[in-house]
Amino acid sequence: MNFFVSYNWLKEYVDLKDVTPEDFARRISLSGPGIEKLFPAAEYLDKIVVGHVLEIQKHPNADTLYIATVDIGGMRHFKRSVRADKGLKRKKIDRMTVEIVCGGSNLLKDQWVVIALVGAKIKWHGDGDLVTLESAEIRGVKSDGMICAASEIGLFDAFPHTNHEILDLGNALGWSMGTKNVRLNQCVGDQAARILMVKPGTPLADALGLSDDVIMDIEVTTNRVDAMGMVGIAREASAILKKTFTWKPVEFKKIVKEINGSGAPKIKISAKKECPRFLSAKIEGVEVKPSPWWMKRRLLSAGIRPINNIVDISNYVLLELSQPMHVYDAAKLNGGLDVRLARPKEKIMALDGNSYDLDDTILVIADRLRPVAIAGVMGGEETGVTVNTKSVLIEVANFDSITIRRGARKLNIQTDAQQRYEKGLSTAAPPFAMARAIELILELGGGKLTGSIADIGQTKYVSKTFSITTDETNALIGVPHSQKEMVGILRHLGFKIKIAGKKITATVPWWRDHDIEDGRDLVEEIARIEGYANIPAVVPVGLASRPQSPELMWEKRVCFISKGAGLEEIYTYSFVSKDLMAKADYDATSMLHVQNPLTAEFAVMRTSLLPSLLHVASENRERVDKIRLFEIANVYDPPVGKIHAARTDRHTRERAADTRWSDLPNEQLELGALFFGIKDPWRAAKGYVEHVMHELGIDSLSWRRLSSDTFWHPGRTVQVFFKGDLVATVGEVSPKIAENFKLDGPVGLVNVPFGMLVPHMTDARTYIPVPVFPEAKRDLSVVVDHRVEYDDIAREIRRADPLIVSVEWFDTYQGKNLPDGKKSVAVHITMSASDRTLESVEVDSLLEKAILGLKEKLKADLRV
Amino acid sequence: MEDALNGLKLAVDSALESAKTDMEVEAIEIKYLGRKGELTAMLKNLTNVPAADRPVYGAMANGIKRQMETAISAKRRILSVVKMANLADTERVDVTEPGERPPEGHLHVTTQAINELTTIFEKIGFTRTRYPEVDWDWYAFEALNMPADHPARDEWETFFMDAPGSKKGRMVLTPHTSNGQIHELEKGDLPIRMINIAKCYRRQIDATHIPMFHQIEGLYVDRNVSITHLRGVLDYFAKAFFGPDRVTRLRPFHFRFTEPSFEIDISCGVCGGTGINTERQKCRVCKRGWVELGGAGMVHPNVFKACNVDPKKWSGLAFGWGVERTFMMKSGLQIDDIRTLYKNDLRFLKQF
Repeated sequence: MNFFVSYNWLKEYVDLKDVTPEDFARRISLSGPGIEKLFPAAEYLDKIVVGHVLEIQKHPNADTLYIATVDIGGMRHFKRSVRADKGLKRKKIDRMTVEIVCGGSNLLKDQWVVIALVGAKIKWHGDGDLVTLESAEIRGVKSDGMICAASEIGLFDAFPHTNHEILDLGNALGWSMGTKNVRLNQCVGDQAARILMVKPGTPLADALGLSDDVIMDIEVTTNRVDAMGMVGIAREASAILKKTFTWKPVEFKKIVKEINGSGAPKIKISAKKECPRFLSAKIEGVEVKPSPWWMKRRLLSAGIRPINNIVDISNYVLLELSQPMHVYDAAKLNGGLDVRLARPKEKIMALDGNSYDLDDTILVIADRLRPVAIAGVMGGEETGVTVNTKSVLIEVANFDSITIRRGARKLNIQTDAQQRYEKGLSTAAPPFAMARAIELILELGGGKLTGSIADIGQTKYVSKTFSITTDETNALIGVPHSQKEMVGILRHLGFKIKIAGKKITATVPWWRDHDIEDGRDLVEEIARIEGYANIPAVVPVGLASRPQSPELMWEKRVCFISKGAGLEEIYTYSFVSKDLMAKADYDATSMLHVQNPLTAEFAVMRTSLLPSLLHVASENRERVDKIRLFEIANVYDPPVGKIHAARTDRHTRERAADTRWSDLPNEQLELGALFFGIKDPWRAAKGYVEHVMHELGIDSLSWRRLSSDTFWHPGRTVQVFFKGDLVATVGEVSPKIAENFKLDGPVGLVNVPFGMLVPHMTDARTYIPVPVFPEAKRDLSVVVDHRVEYDDIAREIRRADPLIVSVEWFDTYQGKNLPDGKKSVAVHITMSASDRTLESVEVDSLLEKAILGLKEKLKADLRV
Repeated sequence: MEDALNGLKLAVDSALESAKTDMEVEAIEIKYLGRKGELTAMLKNLTNVPAADRPVYGAMANGIKRQMETAISAKRRILSVVKMANLADTERVDVTEPGERPPEGHLHVTTQAINELTTIFEKIGFTRTRYPEVDWDWYAFEALNMPADHPARDEWETFFMDAPGSKKGRMVLTPHTSNGQIHELEKGDLPIRMINIAKCYRRQIDATHIPMFHQIEGLYVDRNVSITHLRGVLDYFAKAFFGPDRVTRLRPFHFRFTEPSFEIDISCGVCGGTGINTERQKCRVCKRGWVELGGAGMVHPNVFKACNVDPKKWSGLAFGWGVERTFMMKSGLQIDDIRTLYKNDLRFLKQF
């Protein structure tokens, strides 16, 4: 979680006199929370100064405009040449007036205003991008700058106003009118409080106390909720930089001098598990008004919009101590408060203006009549603090982190409070925040504490204790540290330490009671504060690597083979939509379903890559002419031994609710390929399989026609077997399915159960001596019935004589010059003997034998 | 006889003189020196010459034959030199025409990244191993020291399977590759140096997230493994993968299954780790000179205990990061929307 921290504010809790923000960011990032960005607090307030209105005249040419004569102090805003031009000498330039045309409805003589000089960057009427101000003539009158509204300089949140109202700076910051100089008490309660002299010409950034401040964007890890507050960051900084931590908790006795009445607010905790502790106090007679500037400034630096002093205080305490709180208008509550789970059908109108439907998983704070807050998340609007509020009820509580997280998620609300609660806060924290809140309310809102503070639910707090030894610490870090160093670091972080020999026993401070869970966490504290950068880098040696799994090796090989064969590798999602499966005539019902899919697009774990391949081809059909795709990925079959479905069986009669998924799916690596938009995709698919199998060392395959599966083209599909196992299905997809995917033309497909094939893959090759005597080669062309298959022709030829060593197909022809129902098949035949050169007579007689066989068995005719 | 021989010689010389091609020379050779050639015929006629004169004529004829052979091969040499000298004209092709390329396929960028990562880690003894993608809660969370109420185990973060549970919990789609740590440790075959590169699944989809992506996970368990080794492995990787001038740093972070836990930063390749670009502006690629690479840490004792490995005897380090992001960081690919990677537009895939 990221939050913004004002560097000047942080200085209130830790001594950072000699540390620059840059240095701070670098060193803290290496040992603690990451500081991701730094930016000046007054980035856009250049050339914007404080001015004092001396004179106001009506604009001669416009009813709603005035010409204001404004004192903007010395001439240092202008270049030397301009000064010379105006005939001013250096000594006489401490008072300089400009005339500015202004339409501000609240413009007054003697007012302190904000002047944007020529060159300043402002937001025109508070809208759009920043623009650079230029000298202008407005209805015939020259204007040397602009009297700004708060919205025009990015301060609308701090000083809200109506249209046409300029920022009355004196009023907004509580200065008295008409004086020449203003003594500005920068910050109440600020130990580094400075008295600043403001006079005409003072840069606005100075007057607002922003000029030397830097805002840091800090990322705090989820386990360190303590560091999601200023004090926590200061504590980290103090340990890392070895600087004095100056924060002191508020002492209740010192701040509360008077208590009206007796008794504590009535609080009941019905949901004890969800609310371990609840503190409440009542203050009567408060005055609700805008906060002083110092508080507004700090809230703004953290990105929080000031509302009124009471609401601002609750946000301020949250930012300071990382302990959320809530303040109710006590007059609007009916009876005492109950911390309970919401009842069915209860609703609450929350402070964000939305109405939320609650249920019995949502923790609420309720009065006698209704929920008045969503616990730990957001208060209710009806009981919130308004300008009319006179008495307030303060709540500082501890809530169960999981209840808050799940509730906020269910209602879809994110707040600063909820983000802290859901990470787990200490039950010891609330009294500190309560004391601080009371202190600030009494100071900024007045009023008196009524009765005592209710503190419900708290049992005795038991600190955690863990031990480490110096030896195990050093072994894990890898470089030695002395026990003294270790102890020093832990103490600086607030641990209480006992030492016995090499053993260090540390008591965990309450603000770390969620994240320190083990002695190992103490080692981390030592290592990080020492700095990871100081740990040397050593590459571990001395261990022989294990052999790589054959599947991974062959998978990689087949990727390169496929790339070399001109195929494009694709990656598709493992979970697919039921629609996609249906388009490919796969029944998704029996596949493993995702219980909480992101969308219907990712609903079931696929049992085949082919539907995804078809989808990708379809998507690309108008982009690319020739499509050759492959993917190698897991499919998710039913667990082994449960149901042994044939891999081509896409329809099973079992229902999703059956017991087939009572074990993990059988994840099998599958290879799929697709060919489309090329000549004869079927032949390309088969050639690809032959090539891949050959490269993988899987030869002597047997092929068997497949015509019984409706997914595949009944006349153009073949299954490939090796040692009786199905190793591939190759062919064209049924034209009907191709049409579902808008694929207009034959689509070649390949499906290989790759994982099952791995044991057969090999680099080993059998050596056959190359022939010593020249081989004889002859071509042969025979005419047969078109249903006679090439495989049978080749087998018949080879069977004629062992001297016929190979038969190689090179053409099949059907059509003109051939009778109907006939085809001509042409082959190369190679003949060779290992002990002699074959004489041509012998070759001729071998051919005769082959032809004879073809005539007898296959009714073949020689083609002439 | 003598005249006839000399006549033949002259005839050969003049024929060679006017010959312009190898073929013409070949024809001359056949005409005079071939099996049925004129000189051959004359040599055969030597039998008709009186026996006493035969040695003289014989020697003369052989002399002429040698001279002819020499002349022919000399001519051939000349023709060859001329031919070679004129190749630029005689055998010119338009070299700007495209070549005939073998089929050209492409591997997906993710595969390329996986191959490179595997090779780099193999060199320091980390063997790639594969574990289930659909796994039990025990491996995905519980044994990794992530308790039942951990946010990652909420239904809006992780995909669960519509299947009955087992004593190892619910069936989940692994949201990270860390389940490999548990499977590997449970084998009990120590020491361990493994990497697991696999598909992971999370319930997020937008320009920077995809519901299926890849992670790499490394695990090294041995006696006396320390943070120095983690730094060594990561530094080695950064230099091998990104380049010799890159360095890493560790920053404190938080993961449930490691303690201490770190975020790994690598020095920015664009601004050279300065955080300031060539226009003297803040570097847009990095945060103050560093780019986040991934997470790492020392194996949490609770993880060891869950796998019946004694944390007093063994220690370990683990690291991991997203494969797609790492690849884009290295190649400088500015892909605005990470979903592009798995949209499978061939015009995109063919670029790699």
